[in-house]
Amino acid sequence: MLRLIGRRLLLMIPTLILASVLIFALAEVLPGDVGRSILGPYATQEQVDALNTELGADKPLYERYWNWASGWVTGDWGESLLLKQPVFPVVMKGLGNSLLLAGFALAIIVPLSILLGVFAGLRRDSLLDRGITISSLSMTVIPEFVSGVVLLYVFAVALKWLPVTAMPPDGSPFVYRFYYLILPAIPLMFLELGYIARMARAGTVQVMEMPFIRTAVLKGLPRRRIIFGHLLRNAMVPTVTVIGSQIGWLIGGLVVIETLFVYPGIGKLMVDAALTHDIPMLEAAVLIVAIIYMVSNLFADIIVALLNPRIRKGA
Amino acid sequence: MSENKYQKDCADDLVEQVRNGRMTRRQMLVRASVLGLSVTAVGSMLAACGGDDGGGGAASPTASATGMEPVLGGTLRVQIPPSITEIDPVTIYDQGGIVLISQFCEYLIDLDDKNGLVPKLAESWEPNEDASVWTFKLRQGVKFNDGSPFEAEDVAATMDRLVAPDSGSAALAALEGILSQGGTEATDASTVTFNLEKPFADFPFMVSASSYNTVMLPRTYEGDWPNNPVGTGPWLLRDYVTKQKASAVKNPDYWGKDAQGRQLPYLDQVDWVMIQDEAAANLQLQSGEIDLQPQTIFQGAQALFSDPNLRVDIYPSSGIRCVSFNMNVEPWKDNKALRQAVAYCLDRDAINTALYDGRSYLGYDTFWEPTVFPGSPDVPETRAQDYDKAKQLLADAGYPDGLEIQLTFSKYLENPQYAQLIKAQCEPAGIKVKLDQMSYDAFYAGDSDVTPWLNAPMTIVEWGSRPTPGVFAQAMLLPTSAWSSSHWKNDEFASTFDEYMSTPEEGARKELATTLSGTQQDDTPVLLAFYITQLRTQKKTVQGVRGPGSFYCDLGQAFMEKA
Repeated sequence: MLRLIGRRLLLMIPTLILASVLIFALAEVLPGDVGRSILGPYATQEQVDALNTELGADKPLYERYWNWASGWVTGDWGESLLLKQPVFPVVMKGLGNSLLLAGFALAIIVPLSILLGVFAGLRRDSLLDRGITISSLSMTVIPEFVSGVVLLYVFAVALKWLPVTAMPPDGSPFVYRFYYLILPAIPLMFLELGYIARMARAGTVQVMEMPFIRTAVLKGLPRRRIIFGHLLRNAMVPTVTVIGSQIGWLIGGLVVIETLFVYPGIGKLMVDAALTHDIPMLEAAVLIVAIIYMVSNLFADIIVALLNPRIRKGA
Repeated sequence: MSENKYQKDCADDLVEQVRNGRMTRRQMLVRASVLGLSVTAVGSMLAACGGDDGGGGAASPTASATGMEPVLGGTLRVQIPPSITEIDPVTIYDQGGIVLISQFCEYLIDLDDKNGLVPKLAESWEPNEDASVWTFKLRQGVKFNDGSPFEAEDVAATMDRLVAPDSGSAALAALEGILSQGGTEATDASTVTFNLEKPFADFPFMVSASSYNTVMLPRTYEGDWPNNPVGTGPWLLRDYVTKQKASAVKNPDYWGKDAQGRQLPYLDQVDWVMIQDEAAANLQLQSGEIDLQPQTIFQGAQALFSDPNLRVDIYPSSGIRCVSFNMNVEPWKDNKALRQAVAYCLDRDAINTALYDGRSYLGYDTFWEPTVFPGSPDVPETRAQDYDKAKQLLADAGYPDGLEIQLTFSKYLENPQYAQLIKAQCEPAGIKVKLDQMSYDAFYAGDSDVTPWLNAPMTIVEWGSRPTPGVFAQAMLLPTSAWSSSHWKNDEFASTFDEYMSTPEEGARKELATTLSGTQQDDTPVLLAFYITQLRTQKKTVQGVRGPGSFYCDLGQAFMEKA
């Protein structure tokens, strides 16, 4: 087990290096340059050229990469070229906000979707199963900008039950933040619920057909013990893998939700940095999200290994 | 202040035009403000005109804009888009930065709701005979919020900074060829002389609120504005979180007072919330969490019009979506008939209805449009859709069987819808329009010699409001213009334009404008199908927000009625 964790942690280093090189290369092929982004479309070309020289944006790609990478490993993440602020606190603040939203959404999504999926799987082909499957699938196909706008209009504008933004006013107690996160979490729930519930259902259906479940039933074990003692442990393996793969997206990929609910998360930060060629900001945000992706997948694998001794032993 | 002989002649000419019905009283007042005529002189002119056509003068900057008794105190919550870059008065170029900076820093000249000039930090101004030297008298007793006095040296330093090639100034391209470093002279503490590189009759607009970066900063200013938010304005920056929010409290030492002598500003505090997404912004307005949105975009604003708690004010503006024919390349090069053929395909009324619910002003491919710029000559021809004429022109242009053209534009604002309308309206004449849509960043990316917005064969470029036709022409219609997507090089137009800019006398100026307008429309380097009116949305209880409906707005006299 420890070897598995050690090996995966070591693998993260070349992955991060490769990701950072790719970001540099991709930013290079995006149209425009940082000088133009800072000075705007109406600045003269001489002004743009002078600023690019001042910022070192006209130096060769490898030289710029080396300057950036050597700073990064020593803890100097540099300064945002556009906002002229140190990158580290800006990225960390965005990350903190994104983690809170993702954590809150997951706290609702995971138990609810597992519950619905297992229920549906246990009552396969029943009216309840069909109801859960169809409604969760329908919710999944609604894009978040559609469900978000509708929810905002109904609950914030018309009924005024919930706030229209995702951030409480300054000085509010921390617990208020969850009240403000209810609306943004719902479109995420719509998107994820169907996906995770279907995995949980499929796992349940598959395991219910296994001989050891039949044996347990024939042994006369109580239903509750069959579900919690034998079924869940085996049925949850694919579900945990899926949840692990969704955590990264829930933290770094919520650009639409962050934009619509005016939430200062890391996703929007990343897109803005990419569009304006703000390489220090972009690199920092993308690498942090990459680390989150890898760590969440690692955690999912560890949980799967704990659930399934064959994987643990194979490792 | 007393007028010189030249100004007196101009005043007499203006009065004559009003008496003859060639100009309204309001138009006369706008021209008088450009010439820097004193309040006494304007009063005499109004009396000489007699009667009243209902047009008022430019409002005093400190007069209550509404005539209501203002409510003192309270906090106004304003919504703006986040600035793309760090906010700095010298370098800002987008709405988020401009609307914020202009609350803390002030211009020499203000603009009223009709784009007329109003004294602000400058009390008066006057040109020499050919408008190549302008003398400004500054308001006395004004202090920056760091305690230092505002003097002529600060104006000189501010203008020198804006025309310095290494300052990153967003105003450099507009001022290039008009004012250079060292051209601004502090004659004494309260008098500034602008020695222009060439005569420029519209110069007061170049140091007004329509030239966003020309806010006055102290001579000692060295950048890093968010941490050193210096200015002469009515507010003091208390909190600023990049791309998220800002907050300001009233400046107790502000120089401004209203017409009744009350200290400005009326409000205690202003909070700004920065929102990028228009749908999110509009929902916040509807939910009641926001009091004011200084600039509202037509698309998606229908719900705001019908909201019983909101008021959407419509302001005149000269914002355009300029369709340019790049005359450096085929098929537009040396082919006036082809450019005119496209112009006659457009149903301008239908475009205005489809894009703006019919709320914008129609344009006819000339900047001298009297409904937008009062005092302009009549448009030579109000071009209507005429397919027979378009087909004839196509044949004259050498394309009797029609042709295929490409239209490049950014996926921004209403550009895609406008492009679709152009495509549909050109089709019956045999002109097939291939649409080339790109992202906003890709459209404006690259060096001047490759960037699509200046080099594609035919483009749609969105331009914000400009105060005069001359400012537009200077920016895009001359052989020397930095932002010419049409690359139009018409020597007759250019020489007449130089003469126009060195002729402040109204009658002669109008004659020259008639020639310019005729040449521009006939040669059709650009299509100007409409001038967009601007929208500003606020709660019905919000009063006294001033300024033209562009990026700039003044909250010094804003207040909230008690519910």
